[in-house]
Amino acid sequence: MALIEVRDLVKKFGDQVILNGVNLDIYEGDLKVVMGSSGSGKSTLLRCLNRLEEPTGGKIVFRGENIMAADVDVRALRQSIGFVFQQFALYRHLSVLENVTLALRKLKKLPAAEAKDKALAELERLNMASHAGKYPSQLSGGQKQRVAIARALAMDPAVVFFDEPTSALDPLMTREVADMMNRLHDEGVTMLCVTHDLKLAGQISDKVVFLDKGVVRAEASIETLSQDHADERIRAFFGREADY
Amino acid sequence: MSFLDIVIQLGRGLGYTLLVTLCCSVTGVLAGLVIACIRRIGFYWLRPLLDAYAYIFRGIPVLVLLFIVYFGFPSIGLKVTPLLAMVLSLGLISAAYLSEVFRGALNSVDADEILAAEAIGLSRLQVFNCIELPQMLRFSLPGMINEFTTVLKYSPFAYTVGIPEITKQAMTLSAVTLHGVEIYFAVGVLYFLTFRILLFAVQFIEKRYRIPGLVLKQRSSI
Repeated sequence: MALIEVRDLVKKFGDQVILNGVNLDIYEGDLKVVMGSSGSGKSTLLRCLNRLEEPTGGKIVFRGENIMAADVDVRALRQSIGFVFQQFALYRHLSVLENVTLALRKLKKLPAAEAKDKALAELERLNMASHAGKYPSQLSGGQKQRVAIARALAMDPAVVFFDEPTSALDPLMTREVADMMNRLHDEGVTMLCVTHDLKLAGQISDKVVFLDKGVVRAEASIETLSQDHADERIRAFFGREADY
Repeated sequence: MSFLDIVIQLGRGLGYTLLVTLCCSVTGVLAGLVIACIRRIGFYWLRPLLDAYAYIFRGIPVLVLLFIVYFGFPSIGLKVTPLLAMVLSLGLISAAYLSEVFRGALNSVDADEILAAEAIGLSRLQVFNCIELPQMLRFSLPGMINEFTTVLKYSPFAYTVGIPEITKQAMTLSAVTLHGVEIYFAVGVLYFLTFRILLFAVQFIEKRYRIPGLVLKQRSSI
């Protein structure tokens, strides 16, 4: 059984249709990459999956439970899903350590010492323990992203969502984040990453899901999508991205 | 009247000035915070009322409101003490201005940080307490020091309702000693020193709680 099953997911903002019947399965241990051009609905898809946006229609099943039901505990759901944002979204008034311990203390109700130990262990996992006392403004982009990942992992989520994790990073740091994601994948962390960065997609996954105008158009290897796919638009998208 | 008597009398007046400034500033901060928090967190039905309050109170002269409260309220059976009249006039006008300062500071909090906090499962109130409020207070400090200074400079109105603050003491002393220039000069110096001490205290707090790396962007220009 899939960890997350998405069936005919629809999201509209007024008359504008952003997601128009998305179907997707994510299994435990997956590192699934969703690609698409700007405005294709990638970020909206992620936000619907943890109810940061309210879906307009369709069905999302998470661990066998329909999370679109009215009586779903949305906050509990969100605690099970880590979220890493494009611009890192670290709390700039808190140190690196405090960024990671905040949810542990407020949501898991861990005592301060225990939360600190857990946070330091996660930071160590991402080679950031030595920066625990620093503030976000004192870190590089790659370091910020690693802290954001540590913050997400500290809650022991069932799955981690990455929303354009490398769009604010240079190629070197992109490589760093890709290596990090591959390592986490080897450790069994389930991840769903949306990106339009073909290099990142190629570094972390053999197959990608292509989202276009709110619909999943294809799921195949990047090579197939860029050369052999029947749809010319898909070939063009991946060909252009590949050239880039 | 000896020099010491003059110093003591001015000192007593300074005490009243500080009392009025403190009471009105604390009222302004607390009421301004409550207004800003309510506007931010929810209570949508209250917003028009709070907007109207901020709009009206920022447009009324302090002295007019003070006279309405102190001389007008007794006619409807509400007798207020001079200090309470100052708090209800200067304090609430200050709150109207500070609520706007706090609103601007809240708008400076990065929306992505709020989204990240909600995405991890924090409640709206937890997001406000842990993410928005601490940053808002830091970002508000320059605006707050401006408002405290304004309150200090409006505090001489207290003498019109019988509070013997420093300007009132100076008027009395200058009539008795016929050394008005020297006495009012001394009063000016005392106001200036009070302002500098206030500024120093706020700058100390600002330095103590500044966010490393963001200090140059957020620092007061005062």
